[in-house]
Amino acid sequence: MNRSPLPPQLIRLVLLTVLIIVTYGIARVVLTPLTFGQYGHYRGAALQEAAARKPVYAGAKACDECHDDTLALVAKDRHKGIACESCHGPNRPHVRNPDIVPIKLTDQHCLRCHLSDPARPVHLRQIQPQDHFPGDKCVECHVAHQPNKSK
Amino acid sequence: MNASCSRRRWLGLLSGGLGWLAALPVARAAKTAVKNLFTSAGAPKDYDPTKHHWLMCIDVDRCIGCGTCVEACKAENRVPGASSYFRTWVERYLIRKPRAGMTELRGEVTVDSPNGGRNGFPPTLVPREEILKGFFVPKLCNLCAHSPCSQACPVGATFDTPDGVVLVDPEYCIGCGFCIQACPYGCRFMHPETHTAEKCTLCYHRITRGLQPACVEVCPTQSRIFGDMKNLPEKAPLREFIRTNRVFTLKPHLGTEPRVLYANIDKEVR
Amino acid sequence: MEPLLLLAQLGADAGAHGPRVEGYAYPNEQNVLWSVLIVIYPYITGLVAGAFIMASLVRVFNVKELTPVYRLALLTALAFLLCAPLPLLLHLGHPERCLEVMMTPQLASPMAMFGFVYAWYIMAVLLLELWLDYRHDFVRWGQEEPGLRGLFYRMLTLGVKDVSPKALHFDERMSVAVTVIGIPSAFLLHGYVGFIFGSIKANPWWGNVLMPVIFIFSAIVSGIALCVFIYSELSWYRRREADDACLDEMGKFLFYALLVDFSIEALDWLHRLYFADESIHVLKQLAAGKLFNTMLVGQLFMGTLIPLLMLGAAQLFKEEIPNFLRRRIYYFSALLILAGVLLMRWNVVIGGQLFSKSLRGFTTFKLELAGQEGWLIGLALLVMPFLILILFIRLFLPRKHDTSPPAAEATPAAAA
Repeated sequence: MNRSPLPPQLIRLVLLTVLIIVTYGIARVVLTPLTFGQYGHYRGAALQEAAARKPVYAGAKACDECHDDTLALVAKDRHKGIACESCHGPNRPHVRNPDIVPIKLTDQHCLRCHLSDPARPVHLRQIQPQDHFPGDKCVECHVAHQPNKSK
Repeated sequence: MNASCSRRRWLGLLSGGLGWLAALPVARAAKTAVKNLFTSAGAPKDYDPTKHHWLMCIDVDRCIGCGTCVEACKAENRVPGASSYFRTWVERYLIRKPRAGMTELRGEVTVDSPNGGRNGFPPTLVPREEILKGFFVPKLCNLCAHSPCSQACPVGATFDTPDGVVLVDPEYCIGCGFCIQACPYGCRFMHPETHTAEKCTLCYHRITRGLQPACVEVCPTQSRIFGDMKNLPEKAPLREFIRTNRVFTLKPHLGTEPRVLYANIDKEVR
Repeated sequence: MEPLLLLAQLGADAGAHGPRVEGYAYPNEQNVLWSVLIVIYPYITGLVAGAFIMASLVRVFNVKELTPVYRLALLTALAFLLCAPLPLLLHLGHPERCLEVMMTPQLASPMAMFGFVYAWYIMAVLLLELWLDYRHDFVRWGQEEPGLRGLFYRMLTLGVKDVSPKALHFDERMSVAVTVIGIPSAFLLHGYVGFIFGSIKANPWWGNVLMPVIFIFSAIVSGIALCVFIYSELSWYRRREADDACLDEMGKFLFYALLVDFSIEALDWLHRLYFADESIHVLKQLAAGKLFNTMLVGQLFMGTLIPLLMLGAAQLFKEEIPNFLRRRIYYFSALLILAGVLLMRWNVVIGGQLFSKSLRGFTTFKLELAGQEGWLIGLALLVMPFLILILFIRLFLPRKHDTSPPAAEATPAAAA
């Protein structure tokens, strides 16, 4: 039986195609990260890496270890919902080494919440600094941990 | 001669193909072995993402626009300080009274977010007497159940975790910015130094250690309510929130199924 | 230290949020993320798809008049396709990770198609079609040309030296098959780009169903215009006569393609205005304001209406308009269309980022001169394909094999 051979172009092209596909297959196996696909279409290690970052804020519980008396005072008054670090800033270094002093608070820390703004609810005590004892510092009259108490 | 040549060629091709197919399971087994090694590495041990489901909700009535959350987020997550990169921000809405002659009962709306609200809000230029009402709205990643950002990512660098957070893998992100374009809520940005996409991670590194996200930690009025839906105690603020409020989501018509619930919001908020 | 930093931050940020935004934009939206590079990429792939479609008119639809530009169109497509990944690589934050798109493609993302569609198109369509068409010439030139050049041609034959009538017949038939597959492949190559924009439901300027269709048709228009331009330039440079029948035919296809493209874009606008969803206010402001020059003056008037008039006149009054004038009409229409389609990509990409997703405001875009996404890079990327094409023309359309007649010495105007 006389069988006509395949056209030479076709053979060459098929060889090339197989070569390309095989190269792609090998690259795919080699270059895909190891934890890929563990939980879904992403690197499973990314979850661990995201969780591994070091927190900056210590959290209210950490303050309670040494300052439980101050926290007890705050808890009885109107600022009871405010975490320590909300005003005093992130203080993980201070938790580890109490010699590191937290930042000094200024009037800005009070005005941040208590500056008068039309979008703020009426039940929040708000002031205009130029109308409310201008020139005086807030802490001259007010006790931040016990806002109902006055000096 | 011709026929045997081509036959030999076909046999060669076939054996090459079979060899490749045989190599695949071997390679896959090696991959799994190393994979198991790597999964045990890294911090919080004993954290199983499939056993938690995190949610944050916002009570707009409580927010006073102090911006402490924005400041805390920037500090906690080392977000670039410049004013065009925010993982969370606060918007101020001021709705004016209708002008003389208008039949509407509400006038123009002015929205602003100076530096994301990070240092509070400077006094508004809108005169007091013109203002009908105002409120602040904290914004963040909406934790979409059907997140368009994960759908858009061409390589699988941003994804929905089993515990309900949407994260970016900065080691894998190619920096194309498609996810940033796809987010309807504007909560993503391109980090100017790492050249990868970034967004609110719900402080994943804190919640996996039993801490709260930084913004929730510092909010003075508890307007951000956070919890683990799979491990919620009886008196949890999240339960109270769901029980007492009628809730809204942002841009529900887009079908992204945002899970962050907003209570006491206004129609002007997009 | 802390209070000082706080004060400095207050001072710096007070001015930073100022004049860039009008109205309200989400804080993260102030910067335009996708810039010149992402404008150029669809432009280039559009030219590729369009040039290929024009070449396919010869192969599949047997439009014999276009035969003089067949090879030129394919070579143009290849030159531009080789440059297509460049703007993407330059734009990526991590170009060294670019292979991830092919190793772990996230199949729900239209962008993930890039690697595969590009690889498929360049290998299985364009290079294959060129090879099948040129193969017998490679064999011949491989024997005729001396030295390195001859070796180059011999390498390109891939070792297949058979030029018997049977082999040539096979080339012909396979070429038709490749072109038939190539037409939807060309639509895929550029249509997926349109789908990248069309799939973004977050952006009302981008996310609509007509976007892929508009992209494809404007691509076809730009591709044909590019062929007109290059053919005219090449003929002028070689002082050869451009085939009038060929130019007329290209002009005809250009006119009808432009008409369809214009209709679809007009439909998009008419539908938007009629449908009038909540985004219509900010989009009308965008079109009439920030995009007035690039869209209404540039893309619509200069890039679409004027060429439509010129080409329409050339179609209607073909008998009355003398040859040399018709040639000028095609040439200048082609230039206007090329500029107009580039502006269309600009209006889509940049325009879509100029307004806020809160639908309440706009940001500004400043095109810098140098830098990763500046003027200079854009210009270089647009010039590079032409340089590659010049090389291709020297290698594959050499002067000595150019069979077009030499240019006429006198023009009717000069004779008067």
